[in-house]
Amino acid sequence: MVPFLELMGFGPRGWGAAMLAAAAMTLAVSVAGFLLGGVVGSLIAWAKIAGKRLVRVLADGYTTVLRGVPDLLVIYLFFFGGSAMVTAINRDWFGGQGFVPVPAFLVGMLAVGIVNGAYQAEVFRGGYLAVPKGEIEAARAFAMTRAKMFRRIVAPQVARFALPGLGNCWQLCLKESALISVTGLLELLRQAQIGAGSTRQPFEFYLAACVLYLAITTVSGWGFAFAERRTRRGVARA
Amino acid sequence: MKRRTLLAAFAASLACVLAAPQAGAQSRWATQGVRIATEGAYAPWNFTKPGGGLDGFEIDLANDLCRRMSVRCTVVAQDWDGIIPSLNAGRYDAIMAGMNITARRQEVISFTRVYAAGPAGLGVAKNSPLARLANTEARFNLERQPAEARAAIDALRAALRGKTIGVQVSTTHANFLNEYFKDVATIREYRTTEQHDLDLQNERVDAIWAAHSALTATFGQPGFENFTIAGPGFSGGILGAGVAVGLRKADEDLRGLFDKAIADALADGTIKALSMKWFKVDLSPQ
Repeated sequence: MVPFLELMGFGPRGWGAAMLAAAAMTLAVSVAGFLLGGVVGSLIAWAKIAGKRLVRVLADGYTTVLRGVPDLLVIYLFFFGGSAMVTAINRDWFGGQGFVPVPAFLVGMLAVGIVNGAYQAEVFRGGYLAVPKGEIEAARAFAMTRAKMFRRIVAPQVARFALPGLGNCWQLCLKESALISVTGLLELLRQAQIGAGSTRQPFEFYLAACVLYLAITTVSGWGFAFAERRTRRGVARA
Repeated sequence: MKRRTLLAAFAASLACVLAAPQAGAQSRWATQGVRIATEGAYAPWNFTKPGGGLDGFEIDLANDLCRRMSVRCTVVAQDWDGIIPSLNAGRYDAIMAGMNITARRQEVISFTRVYAAGPAGLGVAKNSPLARLANTEARFNLERQPAEARAAIDALRAALRGKTIGVQVSTTHANFLNEYFKDVATIREYRTTEQHDLDLQNERVDAIWAAHSALTATFGQPGFENFTIAGPGFSGGILGAGVAVGLRKADEDLRGLFDKAIADALADGTIKALSMKWFKVDLSPQ
């Protein structure tokens, strides 16, 4: 039995480097997924708020379906379906041979981003609806262009209203990243499982993974608190 | 857990429909090499070293077989969930992950000849009444000795009435328990063997059911001094014909290469030697 500090250290019997690398992978796939989710989410929110009837129905369908099915199913679909599709396209259209793998990181980012986008869309929509109508009318009365109105009136306030909800979405992202292990991506939970199965010292590995997850959420929590304070500059505390 | 299995099966069938079989000459394995997947978390069959490299019985065996087949091999780690769908999707060409041949698995993939076989049985705490189960040295083959095996199972059923048994999900062991013990005992399925080991240690289950090789490895670890294998060992039938290399059905040529290499490795004693090195018992198929 290797003592905890040696097991999580950087010596010949230490898994420290592997665990840190896996934590970095978790962080990378979560950040990439969260950013993609931001792009998807704003587009869907826009479609829901300003779209024509058909666009609205499609956007509603998107958020309903992707928030309603298990995340694991979305991952399986991208991972197995994605590779099979790319391979088939390569074979039929380009005369290519053999299997074309879709990188596990890309699959993870897409799956996390597309599911998280559905949640973020609702957060953005809520944020937009909280912007007082009068301010938008006032901006129009000043003959602001749509771009200027978005930059000066809408975006800063949506950011303020949406940030707490986005903080939740970020934590969802982080936890969904643990499901990506089925694709073979060496993220934190998969690394902890490998270590536990290989050394038969599961407590040490799951404890270390727990500490690393908490470290990531704590530090990012500070980041969100800071951002919330910034977007609230000049606003009286209720 | 059931849902995960269903999803994997769904994805596998999807992949089967989409991925057409690849045609190619016999020599394509020599040119492109063979990618072999293992779990990397099932010591001592296959596991990961602190630096990240893979090691274990199946890693040594894979290297030996590849030398015999004169092909270049790469061994990659893959989560147990999705290990079969990923094979059929073409992510790698072979599975060597302590995987038993079963009828259900043979519906979606093909297997080479068996390279390791060993009994499965119960692991219990030494102070549990189950530790006094009779016949611990006895071995029963469900196919070749159906009557004796049935009598032994009936004896176990009486002993296990009302108990809780842990087992790894989606394995031949889980199938065995569900077939013979579902109505008398509570069967709790775990994602990995190491998880049911922990729950046995914490007395949340009365017994675990696993391969004797895995139980021996677990009970040799610190913290497991007070646990032991109890009752007879079973093999064959629903428990699978033994551990073999899993391949895509289309790759008949690769199966031929593996079959010959395994036969040679059995004949010259390599598999026995590797088995003694990693398990301390001979698991080469009799």
